[in-house]
Amino acid sequence: MTSQHTDAAGRRTGTPSPYGGRSAASVPSPLALPRRGPGARRALAVAFWLGLVAAVLPWWVQTPADSLAGTADVLTAAGRITGLVAGYLLLVQVLMMSRLGVLERGLGGERVSRLHRDLGATLFVAVLAHLSLLVVAYAEIEGNSLFGEVGALLTGYEDMVSAFVAAGLLVAVGVSSVRAVRRVLPYELWYHLHLASYAVLLLGFGHQFSNGAQLFPAGPVRTGWIVAYLLVGAGVVWGRLVAPLRFNLRHRIQVADVVAESPDTISIYLTGRRLNQIDLLGGQYFRWRFLNPGCWWQSHPFSLSAAGNGRWLRLTVKVVGTHTADLRDLEPGTRVWAEGPSGTFTAAHRTRERALLIAGGSGIAPLRAILEELPAGAALIYRARTPADVLLHRELDWIAQARQTSVWYVIGSRDDTGPRQVMTPAGLLRLVPDLLRRDVYLCGPPGLVDQSVRVLREAGVPRRQIHLATFEL
Amino acid sequence: MRRALLAITGLAASTTALVALKGSPGAGQPTAQDLPADQAPAVPGATTAPRASATPPRPKVTPSPSPRPSRSATARPSRTPDGATSTRTRTSAPRTTTAAPRTTTAAPRTTTAAPTNRKVTGPVISNEYGNVQVQITLSGSRITDCVALELPQGGQSDLRSDKVDAAYSGTSGQVVQRQSASLDTVSGATYTSNSYKQSLQAAIDQAR
Repeated sequence: MTSQHTDAAGRRTGTPSPYGGRSAASVPSPLALPRRGPGARRALAVAFWLGLVAAVLPWWVQTPADSLAGTADVLTAAGRITGLVAGYLLLVQVLMMSRLGVLERGLGGERVSRLHRDLGATLFVAVLAHLSLLVVAYAEIEGNSLFGEVGALLTGYEDMVSAFVAAGLLVAVGVSSVRAVRRVLPYELWYHLHLASYAVLLLGFGHQFSNGAQLFPAGPVRTGWIVAYLLVGAGVVWGRLVAPLRFNLRHRIQVADVVAESPDTISIYLTGRRLNQIDLLGGQYFRWRFLNPGCWWQSHPFSLSAAGNGRWLRLTVKVVGTHTADLRDLEPGTRVWAEGPSGTFTAAHRTRERALLIAGGSGIAPLRAILEELPAGAALIYRARTPADVLLHRELDWIAQARQTSVWYVIGSRDDTGPRQVMTPAGLLRLVPDLLRRDVYLCGPPGLVDQSVRVLREAGVPRRQIHLATFEL
Repeated sequence: MRRALLAITGLAASTTALVALKGSPGAGQPTAQDLPADQAPAVPGATTAPRASATPPRPKVTPSPSPRPSRSATARPSRTPDGATSTRTRTSAPRTTTAAPRTTTAAPRTTTAAPTNRKVTGPVISNEYGNVQVQITLSGSRITDCVALELPQGGQSDLRSDKVDAAYSGTSGQVVQRQSASLDTVSGATYTSNSYKQSLQAAIDQAR
């Protein structure tokens, strides 16, 4: 009876409550955290599709039916559609990288990255199609050869030189982002080419208005398109400059201490002002820039390894490269430039009541923070190569005790019997019999994450219940 | 990656679908059939220009012997009050904004007998940038002058229209030199050039 009553009041079963149920005496109640459902994501998806329709609609309205008689007409029409789509996608691409809070916390950095990559491929094709369709169509109308037509376009039409430069840059950005090419290129080259996307936006701006059949006449379409450009520009300025500036002036984060967790892992404790006012969820990450002579020019995303407590922040980092090695020598008092918080890898984004967390190595960091905000009854499987690789061991045991969390340490290499038995559908179901009714959070090296997703899907866990954290693009 | 392929396929498919939908005949835009019955069929010698859009070519002929070139001859020679038609044809203003060529056509043969100058006005051709309408002056069967009654206006269009006008129109323009509608396309103004040529071709067809 009681449980039905609390259900109707919106309380989730199985969570600790002052009215009874499991006791979780000393740990703050996670009931304070409202769920963050897929609402923001769906709203953004609807906005995207509406925008796409709005971009192509002028063509549809202004082109009389039956007016596409010859090949040239058809090609021109297709060129215009792809042009409008490309213009729109370019704006979306730039906006997605603006780090606006609604994107960072509504979609999550990883989903944004994935979408950016997929839309980027589409934009690449759309721009090439736009360009080649129109060159072929105009060559046919004017009776020129293809190369002659390119010359005619460059000399005879306004803003076409910059438009061709923009297309060239976009092709360079696209090619450099193909995974095989990107692996070969130095990171800085890829990065600076990507910065050129802003130039693409500017260089491609003119020709849309001086030659675009739909945008050329003054009217609501032209005005709307210009407004879209201004909004995207404002979004980039806000997300990249204003919001971080405000955050850092307000919180003034600095290094408090650096602690070794294991021979190759460190925890960095940070303090600052008004830390209790940061809207922070366990499992989220910031992009950190440590302002000392060796590190200030690099910004890296690291998850927090403890949920927000209003007094300090902590990141736990494995030393894998020169940058992370330099972090070991951070002096207390070093100022830190932080951008965030970002990510939807949080307890608030789960779809079911209970959760299973699977960590690999230093992937425990965000999961440790999530664990604090999950209701009792969570389960954690921690994969590590050797017992020495298990991080935050004592904290995990403490949380396990306080919150009735089952923790399994699965030690050994991937081919050892223990890990091999656990990482199968049957093995997981033996440890966690209600696996299918849980959200699963995965964080660790790509090999472990891929294998786990495969096993979970085999076991029948729906895709929307699987949450991933990888920082790989 | 799978999603990217899906998106690209979707882009190609939807572009094709949009073009196909617009290109298919009978998609229901107002064409000649929707016009009043007494205006539509009276189009002698009008060629269906390949690039004509919603406005079908309906040439109108203004016989020059009459002292006022603005007066249009009508198919029904009696009963048309002067004021009603003269407001619609304004040869004095080079760029009128005619809504649609409303004047009906005269039988040209009645006036060509006289070896004097006559003016033939081509149909209004619309494109995305505006309307184009051309009027030629003939002496016998020779084109002696060509003026654009209407060209796209505003912003960039002014520049383009000026280029086209400068190249084609006038007593020494390309039209008079070539005596036909096969003109060089003006670079940077393909659509305006093509519309100009269509209106001109219809006017020439009408005159001969």
